[in-house]
This record gives sequence, structure tokens and C-alpha cells, in this order.
Amino acid sequence: MFLIHCPYCNEEREQEEFSPAGEAFIARPEAPEDISDEAWADYVFYRTNHKGDHWEQWVHSNGCRKYFMVERSTITHEILKVAAFGADISE
Amino acid sequence: MRVEQITSHQIDRSKPLTFIFNNKKYKGFEGDTLASALIANDALLFARSFKYGRKRGLMAAGVEEPNALVSLEMGGRYTPNLKATEIPLYDGLSAKSATNPHSFDLRAFIKPLHRFMPAGFYYKTFIKQAVWAKVEDSLRALSGFSEAPTQEDVDVYDHVHHHAEVLIVGGGAAGMSAALEVLKNSDSERVILVDERARLGGELFNEFASDEAAAIWHEEGVADLCGFAKEQSDRFTMLTRATAYAWHDQNYVEVLETHATGENLSLTNGSQVRKTLHKIRAKKVILATGAHERPMLFEANDLTNIMLSQSVRRYLNEFGAVSGKKVVVYGNNDSIYQTAQDLHRCNISCTVIDVRSAGATNSIADKTRQGGIKVMQGYAIVKAHGSDKVDGIDVALAVRQGVSWEVIGESESLSCDLLATSGGFNPVVHLDCHTGAKATFDEVSQAFLPQKERPNRQTCGAVSGVGAWHDAVIDAKNKAQLTLQSLGVVSEVNNAELGENHSNYYNVGEFFTPAAIIERPKVFLDLQNDVTTLDVALSIREGYRSIEHIKRYTAMGFGTDQGKTGNINGIAVAAAILGKTMPEVGTTTFRPAYTGVDFGALAGRENGGLFDPQRYTTIHDSHVAKGAEFEVVGQWYRPWYYPKTGENIHQAVHRECLAARTSLGMMDASTLGKIDVQGPDAREFLSRVYTNAWMKLAPGSCRYGLMCNEKGMIIDDGVSTCIGDNHFIMTTTTGGAASVYSTLEMWLQTEWNHLDVHLNSVTDHYSTIAVVGPNARNLMKLLCQDVDFDRESFKFMQWRPGIVCGVSARIMRISFSGELAYEINVEANYGRYIWDQVATVGEKWNITPYGTESMHVLRAEKGYIIVGQDTDGSMTPADVNMNWIVANNKPFSFIGQRSFSIAALSAENRFQLIGLLTKDASVVIPEGAHIIDNGGKSVGYVTSSYFSPMLGRSIAMAQMQGGLSKVGETTIVKIVQEKQGLKEIPCEISSSVFYDINGERVDGND
Ligand SMILES: [Zn+2]
Repeated sequence: MFLIHCPYCNEEREQEEFSPAGEAFIARPEAPEDISDEAWADYVFYRTNHKGDHWEQWVHSNGCRKYFMVERSTITHEILKVAAFGADISE
Repeated sequence: MRVEQITSHQIDRSKPLTFIFNNKKYKGFEGDTLASALIANDALLFARSFKYGRKRGLMAAGVEEPNALVSLEMGGRYTPNLKATEIPLYDGLSAKSATNPHSFDLRAFIKPLHRFMPAGFYYKTFIKQAVWAKVEDSLRALSGFSEAPTQEDVDVYDHVHHHAEVLIVGGGAAGMSAALEVLKNSDSERVILVDERARLGGELFNEFASDEAAAIWHEEGVADLCGFAKEQSDRFTMLTRATAYAWHDQNYVEVLETHATGENLSLTNGSQVRKTLHKIRAKKVILATGAHERPMLFEANDLTNIMLSQSVRRYLNEFGAVSGKKVVVYGNNDSIYQTAQDLHRCNISCTVIDVRSAGATNSIADKTRQGGIKVMQGYAIVKAHGSDKVDGIDVALAVRQGVSWEVIGESESLSCDLLATSGGFNPVVHLDCHTGAKATFDEVSQAFLPQKERPNRQTCGAVSGVGAWHDAVIDAKNKAQLTLQSLGVVSEVNNAELGENHSNYYNVGEFFTPAAIIERPKVFLDLQNDVTTLDVALSIREGYRSIEHIKRYTAMGFGTDQGKTGNINGIAVAAAILGKTMPEVGTTTFRPAYTGVDFGALAGRENGGLFDPQRYTTIHDSHVAKGAEFEVVGQWYRPWYYPKTGENIHQAVHRECLAARTSLGMMDASTLGKIDVQGPDAREFLSRVYTNAWMKLAPGSCRYGLMCNEKGMIIDDGVSTCIGDNHFIMTTTTGGAASVYSTLEMWLQTEWNHLDVHLNSVTDHYSTIAVVGPNARNLMKLLCQDVDFDRESFKFMQWRPGIVCGVSARIMRISFSGELAYEINVEANYGRYIWDQVATVGEKWNITPYGTESMHVLRAEKGYIIVGQDTDGSMTPADVNMNWIVANNKPFSFIGQRSFSIAALSAENRFQLIGLLTKDASVVIPEGAHIIDNGGKSVGYVTSSYFSPMLGRSIAMAQMQGGLSKVGETTIVKIVQEKQGLKEIPCEISSSVFYDINGERVDGND
């Protein structure tokens, strides 16, 4: 039951306005037909299920409908950062 | 009975109330709980136990009560499984035991079999027996809980959201003190104090009789808090009769506030809602949740009138009620002497039995003796006697030998009519553990105390092991100071010193679990679930080691009890049997909810008509006027069929289908999802998300598309229309509209934000009226004069703009029935007008409106799939025999394409879409029936099945392993018929296209 800051609406809102959309930084392979079955399966099915600080995608589904990224601790569920796609997340 | 000389702090003797319990009338006072009033009336039997049908009475006075479950009121206000200890008495209250203690009970009849009913009894006895189906109903009726409600709840429940800087859970001495300290030392911080009882004070009322300072502190504290609540109501909220039952991540706490338990709401002070669910977001939480007393263990410790010591004390001091005249108080800590002294003060005869030897506890024992109370130190109760109620006990010497206890010598008998026991205290760590805190065992307090450090939370008072009220008050002030410091409100913390030995819970002794006790029968740990020490021993003998497994095997701590009184004793018994220490065994995991929560409260106002949005097309009123029956599809109310007077669904569908095939039908297709796709890269985008080609589709044309996910599985289908080079209108399935739109947005926003494409949901913007049948062209010519409907100039899968009955329209020549058909799209608000015009002009050809059921039959005759009915998320285009729509040579590898080349997706035994023709043409197979091979194994199942009026026979579509290679073979479909067993239906496997196999009807016959 998180409070999530939407970087587009620029407001902290109840989790029920949002939907999770999987791990962040899962890039679609540039040339799917040229890669091995294993590499394709890795993209389609395998996720890190990381314990600790983790970047994931959320969508403000009952709000502005924008997708954005959230860094969240999967241990404490503390939300550490939120970022729009393309934003600098290095700091 | 009621003790007259007690100055009760809860009841008002000038306000008598009448109530009914188990069909008998009683009297009580305002301020009573149902439990205290029944004690005052000497009505002590409450329940039959869950497994053994043993008669049970009250054990506790509060939320921890395991036995006294009742149902309250009847009809629309019936509430099951409330604790009698938590129901404030009101005039006219009517309650009933969850299990009637007075009725004949099968389990009591088979009492001699008790020893054959260990943990896992029902499971082991019935799992391999054919009798399970026969006994299941009668066993479930013995569940120990109230009957489920049968009527709709008549009352209203609310949800309220709060944000606060500090939330204090628990309004006893510690919680009151913490709240006051925070309020007095801050100006603007928002503070919420919640407590489960009607009045603030918690267990403090117990001290009033013996400690005047407690009464004075309480009076001042309540006055101060009420002052804050009145004068600073914008920042201080006080909730009583409100239980914090769940603590979720990021300090989100859910609190259920009860305004009325069973009263008619018109009789309560103006409240229109029965309960309010408060959703609280707090920056800091202070837990002052207190502790629950745990009972001592001995044989037959479940007899009626064996109660917790502090509960006996509370009934006496708060309500002036006591259930015995000759009391034994038994335990392992100094609190039992206080109970004895309070009873003695009311001239009730009592004896103290202290399991600890004389050495440790001289001063309070001596003082009690000097007051004229018999005190036996170093003695243990080994067994209680009594049939309905306790009438005596056997005691023997107890000796501590090294790290364990022993019981020695012959036992002697004592008589008593009330036995109060105290085996120490269990801090109420439930809430703290909901978000993962680990309670750790503390030797000094012989208790699992809350985890020392947790971000944004403090604990104070009894939950932290601080038992005495004056220490709890100081502890709470210190923790409030730390909370204020963490909020940046104060810079320095004034830490006050607590008294000596403040955290030993009244000099509590070690858990009393000698073999001589726990190897006896009927030593109950969990009274609600009838779990005994022998059940724990058995589960360990059978190989369970983890306390979590022991809990599940024995059901200890299940139900509404959630292990409040029994679990910690259970852990101690497991530790004794395993030869381990308490920390080595550890606790089970506490999960929400701490107490039962009404479904009504969870639903709040999102109930009935507000449960889910109800969507209607603009044509709806015309459907109603035509007598349509409706079905709900993805929130839409769609016409299902239009029965004429006297017609059933089969007759109506038969008539509707024949009309569409032989003359003219019409249907409301407005609910199909519509997404407006615009931008220079719109074509490229469609090429990426659909399996087929889109680059050359000319404006004025339409194309059917199949959409897959990256796994290569079909997720949606529909026709997209090319309006212009940069503009398409995509249609989706009615139920899939929202998820398809969301998925498309995801691709555009996350992977392809360089594509210049914009999406907009326009489902509600247009009304769509389909006219279907051989006379469709004739009709369109009458409706619209500015479009050339000639079959060569307006071809199948094309669209034309035109004026229909004066309204600007887009007319698509597309078909979901295989017949000549047009779909008229107009701005939504013209929908009903156009529908009615179509109906009037079409009368010439006896135009017949049809609903979703006929639509399904017509499309099934043509073998058109319904995504989500004939596919289930594991079907590829090849599986549904639609490889013709997969364009593998597009420059961009479309979504899902790469997965098609994975070997598993072309395996021979994949489920494939086929048709089934029953040998007996009149038999319609039920959807979901299984196809059985010669070995008796299921090799597929029926996804769509109808009677085709046109073909005069049944048709079915099915998923069958390797089905496409078996076309022409005969197979068997088996169905289970109620009370008739299995029925075999022989079928021929066919193509899934049944009618107009060459597709000749789509152009019409003129
Ligand atoms: Zn937003």
C-alpha cells in the first residue's frame, strides 16, 4: 500500500491509482530474429527478482496514464526515487 | 453475580437494560458488555468446542477471548462471530452462541473417542474414504463458528482517509501518556489516537481500587485529551471502539471503528453508518498495544469458569461482576496477588497458588497472607475437575530443577468454583510484525518483545515489557520525545528514569511445562481450535519441526483467535518437547488482520450499484423498449437476445439467426473498443503490434488484425480502418479494450518513444449499428443516397463516408457473420436516432434486432474465434489455424514473431482449434466438456457450442491436442451430468468452419 509520487502529475498519490508494469530496463532486443532462443527467453521470461533496491515500471493508470520508473527497496518497500523515462537517474 | 459494594467505573446502575441471549431474557446495565452482563446473571455457558464439543465459558474480558463467539441480531443486521466481550450492551440486544452449549451435540456423545481425534484426524480419516462427500456437510456445520449470513446487510459502511504525523495505537496508560506528550510539545503536528475499547484507560481501571493515584492520573489525562480533541480538532483525532487491525508498508494502518454493533442506527446518536474503515497514513507510529495474559497449563484447563486472572479482575473492578464465590488464583507472577487482594476486598473467599517457590516472592506473598488470604507457594495445579463447570483442582508440589520444572509428591484436592490463572504476559506484537518486524524472546520478561529498532516507530508500555502503569507512563513520554525528535520538533530528548525491575512483568517465572503436565490429556493450548499439548507432541513425533509447520498441522492460532492466548504457550510446549529454548523455536508469523473485519466495512460504499461502473450504449433505451435481455460484457450492458412474447432464449436466438441469414438483422456493435491512432508513424506502429501487413493499406480500406504478446500468444483481434495515411481507427474486443490500450501505450512510452504516434480511446465517441443479411445492401441504398453501394465499387473490407438519414457517418463493409453486412458509425449521440431509423426503414425486410447470443452462433457457424473464449492466452495463430494472417517478412520483427520459431510452439501435440460435429445432430455439447482419448485421458475441451438454426444441427469448437491432424476422425466427448454420472457423446472431428465454407455469402446475392 504505497504512496507513489507521479513525476508527471507531480503529486504523491495512493497506490490504488497506479498499476505495476514490471522490471525497468528490460530492453527489447534490436534484432529478435538474430538472437538465440535463450537470449529471447531471457528477454521474455526471466527477471532478476532482486532483493534490495530495485528499479521497476509503474503506470499512473487511473491518473495521467503515463509510464514511469520507480526505485523501490523490495525488503522495506521504501520508495527511493521516481523518474520519467529519459530522465537522469544517476544521482 | 453482581458485587454490590464495587464502585464500577463502566456501568451505570441507574440505567437498566434488557437483552436476549440464546432465547432467554436477561437484565444488565448501560456500560456492560454482553459478557459482563451474562456473568452478572450467572449465565456462564457460551459454546461447544470446535472438535470435541466440550462446553466452554468465558476465558477473557477483551479482544483475546477465544470461546465466547456469538452472532448478533437477525435478518439484514445479522453479524456472525463477534466476541461477547467486545459487544457493548444495548436495550433489546439479541445474541446467540455460535455453537449452542445447551443443545444435544454429536461430539459430546462420542466423548469416549476423544483420544482418537488427534491433529489431522479428519484429514487422515476421510481423505481416502469415499464417505467424504457424505460427511462433509455435517462436519462443516460443526466448525465452531456462527452460520453465515443469508440476507443482504442493510447498513452502510464508510471509508475515511487520514494523513498524520503521529499515530498512537492503544489508549491505555502508555498510549494516553504518549499522546499527551506529543500534543503538549508540538503545535501543528497532526496526531491520531486509536483504542479498541469504548473508554480510554485500558487496564488502568483495575488499579483504581488499590491505587488512588491511578484514578487521579486517568481523570486528568482523559480531561486533557478531550480538551485537545475539542480545541485542536484540526490536528488531533481520538478514535475509540476502533481497532487497528493491519499495518501495511509505508506506515499505512487500517483501523476499523465501530459506531454500533447491532443497534438499529436510528437509535444511536445520529450515526448513519455502522462502521468506518479509517485508512491512516502516518509519518511516525507509536505502538502502545499492551499485552495479553496467557493461561497456565494443566489437565482440563478448558472447563467453564477457568479464566485469566486479569480478566477476572477486570470484570470485578470495571463491571462489579464475578462468576464465583470460592476462587483459586493460580500463576507464576506477582499479578495474581493483586487479583486475590481485589477479590478479598469484596469479601470473596480466595486462595493463591503460586508455582514459584517461597524464596523469590516473599514480600508480596507475605503481605497477602497478612491480609488474611491463604497463599500456597511452590505448588502446581495438575488437573481441574468438573462436568459443566470447574468444581475443584488437584495440586502437587512444583520444583524448579536446573532449567526445567518437575511435579513431585501426591496430589491433594481443593474445591473451588472459579479458577483464575496467569502464566505471564504476551506483548501484542501482531501489528508490529505485519510489516516484517521480528519479535525476540526476552528471558527477563519471559516474552517475545517487539523488535528493538524499527524505522518510524516506537513501542511503549506493556507491549515493550513495561508492566506497571507508572513506569508505562514514563516509558511512553520518553518514546514520544524520541518521536518528536525524529520529526524535528524537539532537538533534545528528556529521558526520565523508570522504576527498578520495570521490565520483568511482575517477576514472572519461567514457562511451566513439566512433562508431568504436558503429557496429560486435555491440556488445552488453543481453546478456539481445540489444540492440546498432545497434538503438538504428535506433530513433532510425525516429523514436523518448524513452529510454522506445527501450527498448520495442529491448526493452533487459526480462526478469529489468531493465537492471542494460546500460541506462546504452544511455542513453550514445542520447546520443551524438542529440548530447545524459546528463541530457538521462535514465533509464527503474524499477518493481518489482527481481528475480524466486516465484509461490509471492506466494501464501504463500493457496493450494489456502485460496485462497478455500468456502461450503456446510447441505443440502450431502444433495446429496453424492444424487450431485450441483457448480459454484462466488460462493464457494458449488451443486448443478449430479444425475446418476443412467450419465447425462450433458444426460440429467440433461432428466429434471430435465421433472419440475419435469410433477410436482414441488425445489432448494436457500439461496445467494441475503439482506439484512434494518429501520426506519421501510425502504419509502422500497426505493423509492429499486429501479425499482418499494414504499410500498403489504402485510405478507404479496412483490415482484420490479430494481436499477440511477446510470447507469441493471441491477446486480441479486431478490424482497423484506414481513414487517412496518418490516421487509423483500431477496434478491439469489448472486454479487452482497456488492457489493449494500456499495452499499446506501454510500447509507445517505454520502447518506441521515437515513433510519432498518438493514441486516444474513442470507444464512447461513436455508436456502431451493424446491418446484416442478404438485404443489407437494399437497406443501405434507402438509408444513404450519397454512397455508391454497388458490389464492385464498395467492396468487402472497405469503408465510405456518407450521410445516413441526415447524419454524417462512416460506413464500413465488414462482417462478423459471413453475411453481406455494413457497420454504420455515427457520433455517439446520434446512435439511437439512427438505430430507430434503421429499424423503421428495415421493416420492409422484416429487419430483426439480434443480441450477443445470436452473434456468437453466427460467428461460430463461420468458425470465427472469440479471443478469450476460443483462445486462453496459450494459443498462437497457428494453433487456431490462422497462419494466413502472419506476415513473417515484415522489416520489423513484430510483437511475438520471434517466439513462433521456438520449437515448442510448433510441437505436434499442441492444443489446436477444431470443430466437433456430434453423431446425434440434436445433441448440443456443454461448453467446457472434455474430449477423452482411448486411454481415458483428457486431450482437449470444448470452447464454443451451439445449435445452428441454419444447419439444423449442433456445432462446436474445441481445443484438442494435435487436433488439426485428426480432422475426419471420430472421438468421444465426456460430460458429467448431475446425479447421472458420465455421459459419452461420440463426435466427428471437423474443420472449425461449418457454414459457407467458401465464403460466398459476404457479397450478398444480388
Ligand atoms: Zn500522473
